[in-house]
Amino acid sequence: MTDLRRGRSFRLLAGGLGAALTLSACMGGTTDSGKDAAAGYDPKAAVTITWWTGQPEEQEKVAEQLAAEYHTAHPNVTIKVSPGAPTTDDLLTKLSAGFTSDSYPDVSYAYGNWAGDLGASGKAQDLTSYVQDPSFGWDDFPAAAREVATSKGKVIGIPALVDNLALIYNKALFDKAGVAYPTDQWSWDDFRAAAKKLTDKSTNTYGTAYSVSGSEDTTWHLWPLLWQHGGKILDGDKPAFNSDAGVAALETLRQMAVDDKSMYLDQTDEKYAPLFNSGHVGMMLSGPWALLEIKEAKLAYGVADLPGFNGDHQTVSGPDLWVLFDHGDVNRAGATRDFMKWLTSASVDPKWNLAVGNLPLRTSEKSSPEYAAYVKEYPGGDKFFANLANAKQARPTLPGYEVLSRNVGDAVAAVLQGQAQPKEALDNAAKKSVDAITN
Amino acid sequence: MALTFAVTPRTQVSALKSPRKRALRRNLTGWAFAGPATLIVIGLSIFPAVWAFFISRAKWNGIAPATQVGWRNYRLLVQDPDMIAATKHTLLLTALFVPGSIILGIVIAIALNQKIRLIGFYRTCIFVPYVASAAATGILAGFVFNPQFGVANDLLRHLGIPQQQFLESQHQAIYIICLIALWGEVGFTTVIYLAALQDIPRDLVEAARMDGASPWRVFRHVTLPELRPVTVFAAIWQTITAMQLFDLIYTTTRGGPLNSTQTIVYYIYELAFQTQRLGYGAAAAYLLFIVTLLLSLLVIWYSRRRGSEVF
Repeated sequence: MTDLRRGRSFRLLAGGLGAALTLSACMGGTTDSGKDAAAGYDPKAAVTITWWTGQPEEQEKVAEQLAAEYHTAHPNVTIKVSPGAPTTDDLLTKLSAGFTSDSYPDVSYAYGNWAGDLGASGKAQDLTSYVQDPSFGWDDFPAAAREVATSKGKVIGIPALVDNLALIYNKALFDKAGVAYPTDQWSWDDFRAAAKKLTDKSTNTYGTAYSVSGSEDTTWHLWPLLWQHGGKILDGDKPAFNSDAGVAALETLRQMAVDDKSMYLDQTDEKYAPLFNSGHVGMMLSGPWALLEIKEAKLAYGVADLPGFNGDHQTVSGPDLWVLFDHGDVNRAGATRDFMKWLTSASVDPKWNLAVGNLPLRTSEKSSPEYAAYVKEYPGGDKFFANLANAKQARPTLPGYEVLSRNVGDAVAAVLQGQAQPKEALDNAAKKSVDAITN
Repeated sequence: MALTFAVTPRTQVSALKSPRKRALRRNLTGWAFAGPATLIVIGLSIFPAVWAFFISRAKWNGIAPATQVGWRNYRLLVQDPDMIAATKHTLLLTALFVPGSIILGIVIAIALNQKIRLIGFYRTCIFVPYVASAAATGILAGFVFNPQFGVANDLLRHLGIPQQQFLESQHQAIYIICLIALWGEVGFTTVIYLAALQDIPRDLVEAARMDGASPWRVFRHVTLPELRPVTVFAAIWQTITAMQLFDLIYTTTRGGPLNSTQTIVYYIYELAFQTQRLGYGAAAAYLLFIVTLLLSLLVIWYSRRRGSEVF
């Protein structure tokens, strides 16, 4: 009897191990065949494609309308629209689960900093030659967005959203403190002096605010300062943000947070914007997405370029992407490309991005009536649009950027809370990131 | 295992069949009962656990192809300063939470074991926080301990004590988390101690009293020894709870400020799902599993030696 039982449990164990070994093979991605995913595509073929929009409810409705509109014009293409995940952040987890179980969509929304990972999956379509077609108008997208859509020399996505950081200020607080409004020519010294004057402990008012959660929100606010000082995030595949430029950039922030105490330090990413809207923060470095809530708070505000160093006012852009995936079906691949080309075209994009309160994707949309309406509804929107020209560099699209971002975020958080000095904190972050970037 | 299932003998039918067929039939009946549950356990627990072991020996972000790295993840983990810090936070939390919840549980259980009016109401009150989800508890605590607008600071102001940063201070946050966890979990230890107290034979207590023992000595020499099996169980259970504390941290500090509340489980979450280092995260999860297993075995071995078998 015992023999029988032992034999059985042995077989069970062996079976389990065998199955696990098979599964461990699922950890591999697909190797690139080098063939174009849509070669020989028949535009008349009946196809069903899946679109993960990554959008909240309101925007999702607009997406569904647009999909229906496209289906009316192209009855052979049925588009299954869904947000894909409860929040945009969750999309990456859903995608990676989808890759393993072979149930990924044809096109999905993706944050720009996922481009490296998604490009390395081997599942993304290589669009390099497709977007070069003159009818696509690739050069009409802002340079920073094109750069983010390109991973290791291959175009793996189409820009879905463009934005950038600028200085948003509360006019009433400036008037009260008797400080002149920020200008596009401001230096960081001007910014620091104003922040100091705006700070008023008795009313819980801070000159400016910064997130110290250690997330990408903490990290990417540092990059414009680094670039303005002539620094780089990476040198080849080695972290280079701990250069003198990086240290000087972080020191600028440290002085306000630690020496002047004119900076509200937000332990989450979610408090500083509401505090700005309620009049407790004088200036914040934020993007066009903040305008909707400022408008709802009925705040008198202005927008200016980021303060600069030595006259360099460059900013950072956080473009998001539509990443198209290959299912080994040329007709699906081709239909998805055509749909995305339509969605991001100069004639349709105003109905999407401008309608939901984002910046227009293409420079040529400036003359559209939707753009005029957008600027009227969101004063300062035109400022953000013009500021796109100041987004001269992009964040790296290497796999491993996530880890680097987390390490830099921790370093910035420690320095701004007076727990470390810029040099040692950045050196430490660089040391911790080497491994993640290089292999 | 299938042989342990007894089938009602049906002599008329089974007499016609060979013993072999009968055995097969019994086997099949057994598996029909055990099968669905076995499948669920294997499919949803054992299988992912085995798979996670293979992932832990690879460098994988869930998207790009994985590279096999042998034991490298484990070697790196042992020297990872963040992992060491997370371990310290977890140990601190456990060292405060486990004795805290046991002592509080005993004290409250004794109080609730008295014959007073509205005792049912009090018992319910103590148990309600345990039923509330930790996520809700965390969000609620976020309001209470908000440094600017929270009730806790309001109270301190009335008492003339300086305002505190609570969850936003890297020195206080872990203690506040422990406090919130205690508030949420003490209902559980209270209930099991209450049951254990009512299980103590009355004649034992009465015999001690007859012999002239003071209430304290009754408690010390009769009640406490009787509670030992429950205490071993509570210690293991609460240790596992403390080591796996996640939802509360997620809804209050997200591991901050300056990673001062980052426990091992939260660190694993961050590795695997924030920075997509699935292999490294799986290795950390396996280390935690091994440590928890060893700890539990140690406690069981110790309690068996002392003669009180709970497991």
